[in-house]
Amino acid sequence: MIPLSFYLILSAAFFSIGVIGVLTRRNAIIVFMCIEMMLNAVNLSFIAFASFFGDSSGQVFVFFVMAVAAAEVAIGLAIIIALFRNKLTINIDEINILKW
Amino acid sequence: MITQHIYFAVLFPLIGFLINGLIGYKIKNEKVIGWIGSGFVGLSFLVSLLSFFEVTGLNVAERKIIVPIFQWISIESFNVSFAYLVDPLSLVLALVVTGVGFLIHVYSIGYMQGDKGFWRFFAYLNLFIFMMMNLVLADNFVLMFLGWEGVGLCSYLLIGFWYDRKFNGSTTADAAKKAFIVNRIGDFGFLLGMFLIYKTFGSLNFNEVFTIAEKVPLPEATATLITLLLFLGATGKSAQIPLYVWLPDAMAGPTPVSALIHAATMVTAGVYMVSRASVLFVQSEITMMVIAAIGAATAIFAASMGLVQNDIKKILAYSTISQLGYMFLAAGVGAFTASIFHLMTHAFFKALLFLGAGSVIHALHEEQNIKNMGGLKNHLPVTYKTFLIASLAIAGIPPLSGFFSKDEILWETFAHGHSFLFVIGLITAFMTAFYVFRLFNLTFENKSRYPSHIHPHESPKIMTIPLIILAILSIIGGFVGMPKVFVGESGNFFYNWLKPVYEPSETYLFNVPLYTHSTEIVLMIISVIVALSGIFLARYVYLENIKPIDWLVTKFGKLYNLLFNKYYVDKVYDLLFVEPIVKGSERILWKFSDVKLVDGFINSVGEFFIEIGGLIRKIQTGVTQFYALIMIFGIILIIFMLLI
Amino acid sequence: MDKLGNILHSLNFFYPEIALTLTFFILLLVDLFFRKSKHLLPVLSLIGYVITGYFSFTTPNASGFLFSTGMANVGLYITDSFAFYFKLIILLSLIYTVLFSILSKEINESTENRGEYYALLASFGLGMFLLTSSTDLITIYLAFEMVSLSSYILAGFTRKVPRSAEASLKYIIFGAVASGVMIYGISILYGLTGTTNIYLINFYLANQNYNTLTLVIAGLMIIGGFGFKISMAPFHFWTPDVYEGAPITITAVLSVASKAAGFAILIRFLKVAFVDYAATNLQASLWAILPGFQWNDILAVLSVLTMTLGNLAALWQNNLKRMLAYSSIAHAGYMLSGFVILDNQGILAILIYFAIYLFMNLGAFFIVMLISDKLGSEDIDDYTGLGYKAPFLTVSLTIFLVSLTGIPPTAGFIAKLYLFAALVNTGWLWLALVGVVNSVISLYYYMRVVKNMFLRESISTYEQKIELGHVLISFSLLIPTLVFGVYFKPLIELAEKSIRIFGF
Repeated sequence: MIPLSFYLILSAAFFSIGVIGVLTRRNAIIVFMCIEMMLNAVNLSFIAFASFFGDSSGQVFVFFVMAVAAAEVAIGLAIIIALFRNKLTINIDEINILKW
Repeated sequence: MITQHIYFAVLFPLIGFLINGLIGYKIKNEKVIGWIGSGFVGLSFLVSLLSFFEVTGLNVAERKIIVPIFQWISIESFNVSFAYLVDPLSLVLALVVTGVGFLIHVYSIGYMQGDKGFWRFFAYLNLFIFMMMNLVLADNFVLMFLGWEGVGLCSYLLIGFWYDRKFNGSTTADAAKKAFIVNRIGDFGFLLGMFLIYKTFGSLNFNEVFTIAEKVPLPEATATLITLLLFLGATGKSAQIPLYVWLPDAMAGPTPVSALIHAATMVTAGVYMVSRASVLFVQSEITMMVIAAIGAATAIFAASMGLVQNDIKKILAYSTISQLGYMFLAAGVGAFTASIFHLMTHAFFKALLFLGAGSVIHALHEEQNIKNMGGLKNHLPVTYKTFLIASLAIAGIPPLSGFFSKDEILWETFAHGHSFLFVIGLITAFMTAFYVFRLFNLTFENKSRYPSHIHPHESPKIMTIPLIILAILSIIGGFVGMPKVFVGESGNFFYNWLKPVYEPSETYLFNVPLYTHSTEIVLMIISVIVALSGIFLARYVYLENIKPIDWLVTKFGKLYNLLFNKYYVDKVYDLLFVEPIVKGSERILWKFSDVKLVDGFINSVGEFFIEIGGLIRKIQTGVTQFYALIMIFGIILIIFMLLI
Repeated sequence: MDKLGNILHSLNFFYPEIALTLTFFILLLVDLFFRKSKHLLPVLSLIGYVITGYFSFTTPNASGFLFSTGMANVGLYITDSFAFYFKLIILLSLIYTVLFSILSKEINESTENRGEYYALLASFGLGMFLLTSSTDLITIYLAFEMVSLSSYILAGFTRKVPRSAEASLKYIIFGAVASGVMIYGISILYGLTGTTNIYLINFYLANQNYNTLTLVIAGLMIIGGFGFKISMAPFHFWTPDVYEGAPITITAVLSVASKAAGFAILIRFLKVAFVDYAATNLQASLWAILPGFQWNDILAVLSVLTMTLGNLAALWQNNLKRMLAYSSIAHAGYMLSGFVILDNQGILAILIYFAIYLFMNLGAFFIVMLISDKLGSEDIDDYTGLGYKAPFLTVSLTIFLVSLTGIPPTAGFIAKLYLFAALVNTGWLWLALVGVVNSVISLYYYMRVVKNMFLRESISTYEQKIELGHVLISFSLLIPTLVFGVYFKPLIELAEKSIRIFGF
């Protein structure tokens, strides 16, 4: 059997890659994909813990996280479209009329 | 029990203020604004009067009613309730404030006619009455201080009311600023005194503090410190040496304001405060001595300056300072009743003098120099007669009100063994009679000296009726406090009325009057003679033969200049305090350190923060990823901080 | 009790939330059929909120756990007086937001989908209601996301305005990262304790051994999520941009209601999960934190950072909305300092502060909205000389700003007085001093607005036409701002009744 720590290390690595992606990528859509990655890393660790404890609430949590993530992405894409119509770009670093 | 609802007396002016302040600018009819303002003060007077009658019906022991409104501040052991104290003392003040206030409001409807800030004026006046009522009815020091600051605020607003007019070479705004700064010094003393009281007694409630103080004598040093600090506050508000300098400048405000705030009510707040806290004051002999000495000194000092001024309102301003000096003299020798008595009669005749002066100024199109007046007797008959009554009252001619109150002060001063202060008081009485009749003669008698194109005529009824009522009060106001030598202990209504208020403090007063009735009568006659001689001297030199004055002025030119320039006190203050702070920081420190220390320090601190702010806002780059980066690093940083 | 019975029983205490949910659905449906009507939707929202308020008042405040999970005697949800207090604040600010929206030119002219706007406002409110009462990490997360998702859309609602769309995008990216970090923290906490209920987490932490470092990391990540909601440094960066870009009605509600919900859950989470029941010095007013966690030191530093950063950056702002955004960060800092005490006295101060902050901040936003609708600008320089052209609005704005500064006799002074008094009483003198210095700094930028309005000659051709609605709403905000400055006893009493969190 694969020990719990393997799952957790994978999850942590996954999460870190997601964070780094959010911080470094310019394209808003890729940023959203990275956010999805972070959430999936969380899901992985929830599932691992739930199976480790034999407790169902971790698994329930995963369903909710997935549902929320879907809603978040839907809203995010809508906002990106609205913004694209205004500025003809989805590069995050070019979207900075609001500053200081 | 209307007394249980005394808060209505406080609330009505507030309602007036809100109405005029909020929608006054929409009301086109001045009469409506004016009567809203006056009406609510009138209602307030009515409530006070009804409470007064109700309290007179009570037993002497029950004449102290606390009307709690709500628990105000309650933090740990620090408790302050919003409550009003109705007792003989606060009722006297409330009646004077609302009564005289009402008359002056009505007068203002005529006086301020056509002013572009008409609604603003009435809103401020009503706010003032509201604050003043809080001050006199407060049942604790905090609420009193709130009223104290509130009346100060209204005073500044009203001094600077005609902010676009010139005054004494500068602007009215400068006069308001001066009043503001000088009063801050006094308020600082009051605040420190309050802190000390709280530290000593653990409470700021009048009832609690005074009950403890009555039973357990304070250490002499503590009592002296507390009372001197409180008295410093009183010198600021009541324009005593050394903080009197703001009051003459305060005459920049409209004349009804001078009458209401800077003569009849607000400036007496200091006297009221000393009287209210009498049980603390009597515990320090030093403070009592200081108060009496400063009162007497202020009285004679201000009166001497009044002798040579030419601005009609300035003369009255110095007269006010001088009369306030009398009140403090009385308080200082332990005759609190006499001081409140004089406060009341002074409110009548000084308000009358100011309103009369306003009427004169009005008739002569804003002329205030008495050298350019004269001969108004026939043009302004009502003003003339009422002004004469007020002048006689302030000079102390029996049986007008001023005679009784001033005589009681002089007598008490003498009886308590302060014969030197008595002599000063007597000299002041002479000066008072002289300057007020100098003013009177130069204004109303003789030939006219104003430009011939002006045709003065009597003010409208709305202004003269308040004058007449005040004149009546100036005549009969003194009969409530007839000297005991004539009517006996029980006949002096005013004394008996206030007696329960001062009973706690009387145990601390040692020197009981020892003199016989005949002494009192002799002194009375002396003071009347002194007053009469002042009047006749003024009449002689200003109506018959001006030569003695001219001779004096040339002979004692230096003295005259000294008086005319108000002992150069303003200049000295400028030199001692204002110049070093404003200019010294620029000149002297500049040479040494290239920095404007006093000015510069504050600025550079400000600039420092602004510069830092300029750097900080640059972090807000507008790029979201950068924000997220800082967030992530923030978490990591905190974890590291915790690990170390 | 069987599970169905338990749920049915719980529903008895759930009427306010049900009312809000129904409001949301009704608004969506009505919008489908009655698109033309202009005032129907806001009126329906108001009715819904009033009904919600009615149920909030009538529902008993000490329900015990709702929606118990069966195994242990704990549940997902709770109604206590602490939650009730924050629900009142949230509800009041929702009602004001709807009223503002009716009058706002921005909302009425720049979008055709007003129905969704009001519906989303209701779901936003529902999320906040749930957030204040949640006792399980699952409900906390769901409520948190409900608030966030609604507010992302609302912030970008006037999507044709470039800065509104930009604000929305920044908000969702930052928010998604913050919630991602938070949920990762939650997963670690779940892994550490094996449960998602905060009462059980506390039970576990008090009785079992655990790795302190892991717990601190998890706790910080979760607090980071809540810190995003209350715009606590260093999680506050989204605030100025979003507040400036969002429609002003939304800025107003974000600055009050969503902050209130964030504070409610932050306090509840820290207090419930980390309090040490076994500590001997646990008194009525004091609560001891589990050994090994000096949360208060972290919070002290963060609160100082928050108020100072907010105030210093505000000094430079020329856009009034953005200035108010920074000022709201600073206020979050003040309130956070009350939490540092870890004591009921501090929580009391926060509750008082919030109620007063509600009125003065909404008031300031309302006046700014009215003026900028007419003026077409939020630039402070364009306010020059307005004092004589629009006396009512400018005097009102002055009062709100004076209150925000904390000068007596306004309510803002009382709020700060109670806060700083609590700090001094519990020995956090330096923190109180920092707070006072910060208030002095804030004086500068608030008074700059006042100075511009009154002490300068007018340059614009602004003309004011005051409507009755403007006056009434302004007064309903002005009166509490002034009255609570003098007569604040009822407020204090209400707050004192409300510091009780269930189980304490």
